Amino acid sequence: MIQFLIDTIIRALDLALIAVALSGVYSLIKFPNVALVQYAVVGAFVGMLLQQAGLPLVLALPVSAIFVGLVAVIFNVLLFERLLTEGSAIALIGSLALSMILSAVFLLAFGPAAYRFDLAVAPAMRVLGARITVHQLSTLAITVAALGGFAAILFFTRLGREMRATATNKVLASASGIDTRRVINATVFLSGVLAALGGMTLAMRGSVSIDLGTQMLLPVFAAAILGGLGNALGAIAGALVISAAETFVTNTNFGVLTGTDFLFLPASYAQTASFALLVGFLLLRPSGLFTSEVSRV
Amino acid sequence: MSEFLIHVAAVSCLYGILALALNLQMGFSGLVNFGLIALFGCGTYGAAFAHLWGWPPLAGLALGLIFAALMGLFFARLGARMSEDYWGIATLSLAEIMRLVFTNEQALAGGAQGVSGLPVSFAGLAGQGAGLSRLALYAALLAAAFVLCQRITRSGFGMALKMMREEPQLARALGYDLGRMRAIVMVISSLMAAVAGFLYAHYLSFVGPEQLMSHETFLIWSMVIIGGIANNWGVVAGAFLMQFALAYVPFVKDWLDMPSDFVAATRLVIVGGGILAFLIWRPKGLFPERIGGSHG
Repeated sequence: MIQFLIDTIIRALDLALIAVALSGVYSLIKFPNVALVQYAVVGAFVGMLLQQAGLPLVLALPVSAIFVGLVAVIFNVLLFERLLTEGSAIALIGSLALSMILSAVFLLAFGPAAYRFDLAVAPAMRVLGARITVHQLSTLAITVAALGGFAAILFFTRLGREMRATATNKVLASASGIDTRRVINATVFLSGVLAALGGMTLAMRGSVSIDLGTQMLLPVFAAAILGGLGNALGAIAGALVISAAETFVTNTNFGVLTGTDFLFLPASYAQTASFALLVGFLLLRPSGLFTSEVSRV
Repeated sequence: MSEFLIHVAAVSCLYGILALALNLQMGFSGLVNFGLIALFGCGTYGAAFAHLWGWPPLAGLALGLIFAALMGLFFARLGARMSEDYWGIATLSLAEIMRLVFTNEQALAGGAQGVSGLPVSFAGLAGQGAGLSRLALYAALLAAAFVLCQRITRSGFGMALKMMREEPQLARALGYDLGRMRAIVMVISSLMAAVAGFLYAHYLSFVGPEQLMSHETFLIWSMVIIGGIANNWGVVAGAFLMQFALAYVPFVKDWLDMPSDFVAATRLVIVGGGILAFLIWRPKGLFPERIGGSHG
């Protein structure tokens, strides 16, 4: 049971940062930016390159996160601002296309091999009978700190108040003197930072290969939609639900149901569980668990 | 005509049918379907099951059409309560679920290895006869699909679809049953996609889950966007353009003496870059939609 909880939390760590980034940006510009999962991969690769170049890890992480934040702003200004004038579906397709181009860049630059950070290998510790590694704990700390920082910005700063105002009513916010374009780009920057940290913490727990982004896409979306797209902190709850479902599907012995001793589903069904949960949710409660928007016709 | 040109032209015809199907959904009705490849997969796996169970190939076609119609109805049902971007994610998820199930269930059509040895259509003909007969068949079906799409989009029903795309609330206020219209469009286009899938299975003589990767859907999207959203001529032209562009990438690789990853990367750049470039600089595509309905 403890192991189940730990596995769920670790998996939720994979999803939470990117899902929060996705949801946070959606609340302002009303389209789900698929390329965010690729920004996470960019973050992981840049962090590894910086570390190889001799930067200590404590510096490589923030430098890479800020770099990816800037990249996100550049893409937003050059690309998505223009596409959004055509509608959110067009912007969504554009972000898919951008993801494909980034995949091509990764493929040419890094090839299909898996990469890892240069970290000391520590044996798994036993906490209350559950296995847990030192890197899992340190990435847990980074994730909690990043999410806490984001929540603090959102709720206790002037920028955060402007972000919430813009998300609720962009026209009114603009009329009351808020520079909405600046607020949106600040949010896009923060989303890039969160996504990059998500990618790097994933890489610290295991390895990163170029198809990480495509693998993460639907679980991250499932978490963000479950939490109510546009509700940044709801995405954390969504990530926990999705990871619990995935862990349950892969770690439970279904032998009882079929009358055999052991029946474990293959690990790749973990993804199927999250997609099925997503589709079921969209059918029954299309706006997610916690909604911050009034539903449309 | 060389063997290679016949091959590319034949595949282009099948993708032309798929592009017409997506255009009917996305171009005319505003249904953002990111799971089109699943409907195509209904056709390929219909053929695969018929082959495994020893049925005649045409029974496989019927099976594929039934699968596709049911899945199309389910997609349409799912779309009843969602805004377009949510529906896009939901359809993408359904297509991925289908691919993962076929990859993991060994008992179901061979799992990841897929099913091979399907009879190739017109295999008995000598020389280039087989290839040319296939090309003729596919071209005839593409023409039939084209005529069907033109008739639908120029009819009163087609006008209603455009109104659903532009002003769904107005269409509903005027008494159109949007759910029924969605269902009709999804079933017609799913059947078209399944026919293309069935022919593709009997062309490659192999059916496997890696044919259902989501980037195949985005390839069809690029054909529609580059050719011209909501223009039936345009999307067929887009299908031929993209297929020929992708087919020549390996030659460029040999010519430039590039590593083998170059082919995959270049294809991604052609599809993704094509979509982006057209969305930014020419969002209506090569052949823009003709406004004005039945005389257009």
